[in-house]
Amino acid sequence: MKTTTMAAALLASTLIASPALAQTIGPNGETATPSSEVVLTEADIVALQGKGYKAALLWHTSSDFINAVAAGANDEFARAGVDVVVTTDAGFDAAKQRSDIETALAASPNVILSLPLDPVTSAEAFRGAIDAGAELVFLSNLPAGYAHGTDYAAIVTDDLFQMGKQAADVLAASIGGEGKVGWIFHDADYYVTNQRDNAFKATIEADYPGIEIVAEQGISDPARAEELANAMLLQNPDLDGIYVTWAEPADGVLAALRSAGNTTTKIVTLDLSEPVALDMVKGGNVVGLVADEAYELGRAMAAVGLKGLLGEEVPAFVVAPALTVTADNVAEGWQQSLHRDAPASVLSAK
Amino acid sequence: MSASNPAAPASPVRSLLARINLQQYVVYVGFLAIFLFFAVVLRDSGFLTQRNLVNIILQTAPATIMAIGLVFVLSAGDIDLSFGSTVAVSALCAAMAMAAMPAAAFPVGILAGLGAGLLVGAINGVLIAWLRLPSFLVTLATMGLVAGIGRSLTQLRSIPVTDPLFTGIFGSGSLFGVPSLVIWTVVAVIIGHVVYRQTRFGAHVLATGDNARAAQVTGIKMSRIRLSVFMISGGLAGLAGLLYAGRLQAAKYTLGETDLMTVIAAVIVGGTLLNGGKGSVIGALVGSLLMGMLNNGLILMGLSVSDQMIVRGLIILVAVAVSLREKTR
Repeated sequence: MKTTTMAAALLASTLIASPALAQTIGPNGETATPSSEVVLTEADIVALQGKGYKAALLWHTSSDFINAVAAGANDEFARAGVDVVVTTDAGFDAAKQRSDIETALAASPNVILSLPLDPVTSAEAFRGAIDAGAELVFLSNLPAGYAHGTDYAAIVTDDLFQMGKQAADVLAASIGGEGKVGWIFHDADYYVTNQRDNAFKATIEADYPGIEIVAEQGISDPARAEELANAMLLQNPDLDGIYVTWAEPADGVLAALRSAGNTTTKIVTLDLSEPVALDMVKGGNVVGLVADEAYELGRAMAAVGLKGLLGEEVPAFVVAPALTVTADNVAEGWQQSLHRDAPASVLSAK
Repeated sequence: MSASNPAAPASPVRSLLARINLQQYVVYVGFLAIFLFFAVVLRDSGFLTQRNLVNIILQTAPATIMAIGLVFVLSAGDIDLSFGSTVAVSALCAAMAMAAMPAAAFPVGILAGLGAGLLVGAINGVLIAWLRLPSFLVTLATMGLVAGIGRSLTQLRSIPVTDPLFTGIFGSGSLFGVPSLVIWTVVAVIIGHVVYRQTRFGAHVLATGDNARAAQVTGIKMSRIRLSVFMISGGLAGLAGLLYAGRLQAAKYTLGETDLMTVIAAVIVGGTLLNGGKGSVIGALVGSLLMGMLNNGLILMGLSVSDQMIVRGLIILVAVAVSLREKTR
């Protein structure tokens, strides 16, 4: 009976949410392979070492998250004796990303790890890398019209749906499954944040009938989060919870709540950040942070690229798990996500 | 002994050096020095390959085009902060027009892209020249305004550009083996240089920026000159938008967003004064290539992104300091 109810609930959520949101699936409908299944064997390492292979990391931006992904990739490349010869940051600029690719190709990398900024503008930009014969491994996003195997080795991504869903679950639990919440989403055409934001909304609407999203606000500039949150709270002073699309604007939302003396509205956000985590461990407004395993993402990207280089069959779509971090597991969560200790301020405030 | 004696008469070499103001050529000397440095340090990393050197020119083509417009604006004693946003709107207008009228994609794309740039330039020019508003504040406002329009035009979506004639002429095509972006750069620099140096208009632009009151007394129609320089800047930003759209085969609201500081630095390093009256189109070209070469070389050196930013910032600081010291003395 219980199984039937759960199955019905799952089916209902699948139908209510759009099919693409029901779980994290590849851009062409590929099923996800857990990143834990993509591992370089000892034989792979031996085959790779001493060959003079080179890698390039062509990121879309610089951030703590990218640092952790790069650390995972660098460690895996080092294990296989592969030199990382180029690292770039496109600053979210599609034209700069194209230039970065062209520049990197002068160093003749065998494997390129990158996050294509946008399917349309990236399609032409990465053609040169394909023509040069580099193994391409994409983080989260795929250039339009690219085919697995011929154009790229694999896409590796967070479990984006799970991140949004787990954020909904932790916020719902903190307000007893009932109340009014605000939804601050990333107002940009950006696959990663769009998927996560929509998964939060879809989960609340499908799984928590007692919770109503009464305020929706898009944000593109994190520096404006405080004024947006102030306006939202002015119009909805009785909000029980607020979802914030990622940690940086959550700082501004927290500032708005603090200046209003509001200690009751709960916040959930995505990605790990020291100021937000500090509020959480001190019992403030923040009830949970949902993170991805960034270091694992980088490790899996490197591993899948190197396996492609060896001519092995690799899965088209690899997913690293999502992770809910609360005040109770903050130390373990930091290690699992970023592969380093949580900030001293957070640990000592526990 | 005599060489180290300050009282001794200057040697012929020294007097020749004193007559040639070396600092006037700081951008060329700096360009050569940095090129030689990368050529030696990165000799095994692909820096000197023909493909990489051509890439640097291709990558800097839109910035060079924008820089030419900024030389005119700065020389007239004004500043334009809106050209980066104008690039995106021009590219988007061109892409949307081509999508709407595929049968006449090429001409409508050009008209829409250049038209959008000229329109923004004209609005800036009218507000600054006739309403006497400060160019810094006007273009700061239109920068935000135009960026907002760019975002709302397509609801943040990217628009593909598929017309082969357009992408060939403004992006990946070539003529007699010379890439089209190189041709655009050369043509724009030659026309810009001739207009700036050889025409009465160019002289009037410089006179307006050098001493506005004197220019007015001599009968120069300053309002018309200021409107013209902003339309040149807007029009060239529109052309840069077309080049980006052709090169990426798509248009997006973020195009040109990060070019503002790079282009200003390129123009200043290239010998144009921030407060008007002196400038150089050729210098802006070399300044732009210098910026592109720095980006390229620092990436190929394998530096981390943070280190690239630090080194690039330091080199620009030194170049601007040396360049400005000479001109303000």
